[in-house]
Amino acid sequence: MNILVCIKQVPDMESKFKINGAGSWYDSGDLAWRMNEYDEYAVEQAVQLKEKTGGDLTVLCIGPERVKETMKKALAMGCDRGVHVADDEFFKKDSFSIAAVIAEFAKTKSFDLIFTGMQSQDRGSGQVGVIIAEMLGIPSVTTIVSFVFDNNTITVKRELEGGLKAVIKAPVPALVTCQLGLNTPRYPTLPNIMKAKKKELLSIPVAELLNVSAHQETTSLFFPEKKGGGLVLEGEAGDVADKLINILKEKTAVLA
Amino acid sequence: MQFKLTDEQKMMQDMARDFAQKEILPTLKEDEREHRFRPELVRKMGDLGFFGCAIPEEYGGNGCGFFESVLLAEQLAKVSGSWRVPLNMQNIGPSVTVNRFGTREQKERFIPAWVKADSFGFFAITEPNSGSDVAGMGTTATDRGDHWELNGQKMWISNAHVGDWGLVYAFTDRSKKYKGMTCFIVNLKDNEGIVTAPIETKLGLHCSPTGEIAFTQARIPKDSVLGEVGQGFKICMWQLNNTRVSCAAGALGIGGGAIEAAINYANERTQFGKKIGSYQMVQAQIADMVAEHEAAKLLVYQAAWLKDQGLPNQHQTSIAKLFASEAAVHAASETMKIFGSYGFSTEFPAERFLRDAQSLRVVEGTSNIQKTIIAGIALGDVENR
Repeated sequence: MNILVCIKQVPDMESKFKINGAGSWYDSGDLAWRMNEYDEYAVEQAVQLKEKTGGDLTVLCIGPERVKETMKKALAMGCDRGVHVADDEFFKKDSFSIAAVIAEFAKTKSFDLIFTGMQSQDRGSGQVGVIIAEMLGIPSVTTIVSFVFDNNTITVKRELEGGLKAVIKAPVPALVTCQLGLNTPRYPTLPNIMKAKKKELLSIPVAELLNVSAHQETTSLFFPEKKGGGLVLEGEAGDVADKLINILKEKTAVLA
Repeated sequence: MQFKLTDEQKMMQDMARDFAQKEILPTLKEDEREHRFRPELVRKMGDLGFFGCAIPEEYGGNGCGFFESVLLAEQLAKVSGSWRVPLNMQNIGPSVTVNRFGTREQKERFIPAWVKADSFGFFAITEPNSGSDVAGMGTTATDRGDHWELNGQKMWISNAHVGDWGLVYAFTDRSKKYKGMTCFIVNLKDNEGIVTAPIETKLGLHCSPTGEIAFTQARIPKDSVLGEVGQGFKICMWQLNNTRVSCAAGALGIGGGAIEAAINYANERTQFGKKIGSYQMVQAQIADMVAEHEAAKLLVYQAAWLKDQGLPNQHQTSIAKLFASEAAVHAASETMKIFGSYGFSTEFPAERFLRDAQSLRVVEGTSNIQKTIIAGIALGDVENR
């Protein structure tokens, strides 16, 4: 079994975000970085599958040098090798370009299964996984909450609106995007963290894999405007009550 | 000189933080109220390799040293002061000590079991009438030809009533004073002459079991001696110098946890129409806490690093322990003040930080004993080892 799991490094979501100088993304200067939550489910599922079927599990991540730290966690969780696509400007790329880079890498590797998170916690487009599958011409199932591999077929559950669940079967090769509830990601153990140091972590410049033009551009990023402050009524209780009743009559439908 | 954690160390720190948040915190309030020790949690820590620091791989070591263990202790204690204690019970106490002084057979037999948490460790030094004065202990071990006979009582022993194999210090020849003490590897279970009982009147560390052990003509096998007969005091001091740094790291965690709570509260709580963190007097409190905490961190990390380098560190370890535990008590006390009435409430964590931090001024040598060690070395009376 030849497996690929794609992960993204994202800021700790409790960080205080600032908009960058260009006004098109957040400032990455002073942030703590983590593995994208949904990618943790993807890594865990990929590792479980590899433990069951044997084979080889590659983790791929696009970004600057610092993403290697997050990749090492995936290696410590059980991935066999890492492919770092070195790109300092990854945050400027749209989902189509990111997917094209991954598909270009994957197209000659004959992966049986590709795991991704259902979306990233920072950009949240939820498109990358599906576009990779389309580019590779393989089936994809999104937002899975359960996964079984048997007899070259995957059987997965998807969570739908209104508490419904759907069961989907697909032959491999296939791609799945992973959702909360799929599994409980393991902690990397101390011995495995130390052993991961010795695993292969290859860097490829993004230029070697990027051969498409962007379909979209993020033109600006901004915090929503704060809503104006409330109205404070002052004066004698009786006057305040009259003012309030007038406001409710004029500006709302509470009083006719 | 560099002050940056490696990627691996950062990952361990993150993992321990994550572990504490997910495995300890959710039930902590209830566990504290019920004084509940969770053996399964110790085993989980064992599975994750928490207890294999400064241990060769052949005995279950994880390839890490004191430094990494200190990072774990700090993160665990940040959530709960009780839950950094197993690091000393399984790893830095018995395992590291047996690894240093034990025979090959003893190492093979005991260390992997402590590292995996198949056997719950402990070490028994303190007695009802001897604390700081270790050589004033009354417990004796008598050579009965085919076995040793232990008599005496130990008190304030972590893991006493849940422990399996651990270290017991006793006099084999009181006339030789410091050179008449011996360390034994003892199984507390299945021995007619050994009775253990919990102590449930502690002010803090409610999730960490503490108890007493009574030895009454307890027969223990001839091959139970760790190191040599008469070497016990030396082993004891060597061991305390190691477990001490883990306490210091626990203090770092408790202090850090208190500071985090204080800062969050100061940023949220509004009085006189402004956040309380905008008042200079609260800022002064926060500044003192943070400055002391950062200083303590450098001291603790330095002491652990020196141990990993095999360099003399008793001086730096005692300084770290003294400074970090006093800083933790100060931070927790200030946090209570910043929380106002909520600080005085058991519904909020401020009071727990203070209760737990107090223990660190006592265990592994009181603050006064640390000062004695620090001054002794500073004055040139004692060599730094």
